[in-house]
Amino acid sequence: MYPTEFEYYRPKTLDEALELMKTVEEPKVIAGGQSLMPMLKLRFYEPACLIDLGAIPELKQVKLDEGGNLRIGAMVTHFEVIENGLIRENAPILASTAENIGDIQIRNRGTIGGSICEADPSADYPPTMFVLEASIVLLSKEGRRTVRIEDFIKGPYETDAREDEIAVEIIVPKSTDQYHVEKYARRKADFAVVSVAAIARTASDGSIEELRIAAGALTDGPERLKSLESALKGKKKDSVDLQTSISETVDALTPISDIHGGEEYRKYSLKMMLARVIKELIE
Amino acid sequence: MVTVNLTINGKEYSGETEPRMLLVHFIRDVLKLKGTHIGCDTGHCGACTIQWDGKPVKSCQILAVQAQGANLKTVEGLEGPNGELSIEQESFREKFALQCGYCTSGFLMMTNYLIRNNEEMTREEIREKLHGNYCMCTGYQQIVDAVQDAQRKYFAQKK
Repeated sequence: MYPTEFEYYRPKTLDEALELMKTVEEPKVIAGGQSLMPMLKLRFYEPACLIDLGAIPELKQVKLDEGGNLRIGAMVTHFEVIENGLIRENAPILASTAENIGDIQIRNRGTIGGSICEADPSADYPPTMFVLEASIVLLSKEGRRTVRIEDFIKGPYETDAREDEIAVEIIVPKSTDQYHVEKYARRKADFAVVSVAAIARTASDGSIEELRIAAGALTDGPERLKSLESALKGKKKDSVDLQTSISETVDALTPISDIHGGEEYRKYSLKMMLARVIKELIE
Repeated sequence: MVTVNLTINGKEYSGETEPRMLLVHFIRDVLKLKGTHIGCDTGHCGACTIQWDGKPVKSCQILAVQAQGANLKTVEGLEGPNGELSIEQESFREKFALQCGYCTSGFLMMTNYLIRNNEEMTREEIREKLHGNYCMCTGYQQIVDAVQDAQRKYFAQKK
């Protein structure tokens, strides 16, 4: 099906884009369009005006700031996230996450900013962004604000961005700890049935110094599994009761229940995946 | 209506389009380059794969207006100056890598990219890299044969 009719704008500067966001009726931003195009075709969105960010070069940069954080432009493609030397060096978990997205063609066109702003509950980036404690920089004519990823994603397809704001940059703190990111889907390009992202650091005495875990494909969007983290953090890796801790945490979650998997099945799969991922990380 | 100017296979094209027209329909119905096909229209099947700045993309997931000023390559751009088949096309013919042929232009555009941007690929790697392209005749064995063959030809040519 074709998208409904809309007016199309292709600003050449960020300033021009922000002006449009403020002045035109019902604006919707299009980045790479790999999530939005299907949604427009399904008429899930029927925007009056489409603002294309494709002609704004400054949104395509990857930089390292003075604090050692990565600053990734919203229009950086998944392909670039995988290939970029700065990202591979300072947040290798992010590059690994991007490798799981869609297929080669989708990764060449889809963008990190577009994917995050779509806030699909089963999308690939959010669990990783949660464990990296990333933030989103939002810009509007009124000013600039930085929002933590956990506050930015409000629920399925819902973000904290106002109608006149554009997400311009993702701030990712450096993280070179051990990591693991895993996604289970029936076919590789599908959205996840279960997904987990985790980073960990163990001390020389075998205790778990740092552990951050997040799960995706849940009803209300991705979630940091803080109860599991605190049950394991500081403990010696040989003395933890992994199965019990995982069960307690997962039983309190509400995975999506749909044709790709019922709640019970997803919980079971999530428990298996968590046990494997954590074991691998702390060993 | 919007005028879109772009380059396809090294040639400049210009056409009028409604903003909501998909790039694949613009290429086929406005510019009359019928080699690119549209299959599923949902971004899954890969029949509409073309190259944008040398990288494969799905032209049913892009609006024509987004391709303003773009440098594209379609299956028509593969053949030589006198109509001779490219190495990918040769390999697909020799290995019988098409049955109905509907998905072929998409597979050819992927093959053209993959054989040039990878070290020698195993069959498993080829399958993994082609998972965004469907052949509904399910002739995947021969397609993998053809990709391997085309890569061998490409490496031999480079020497």
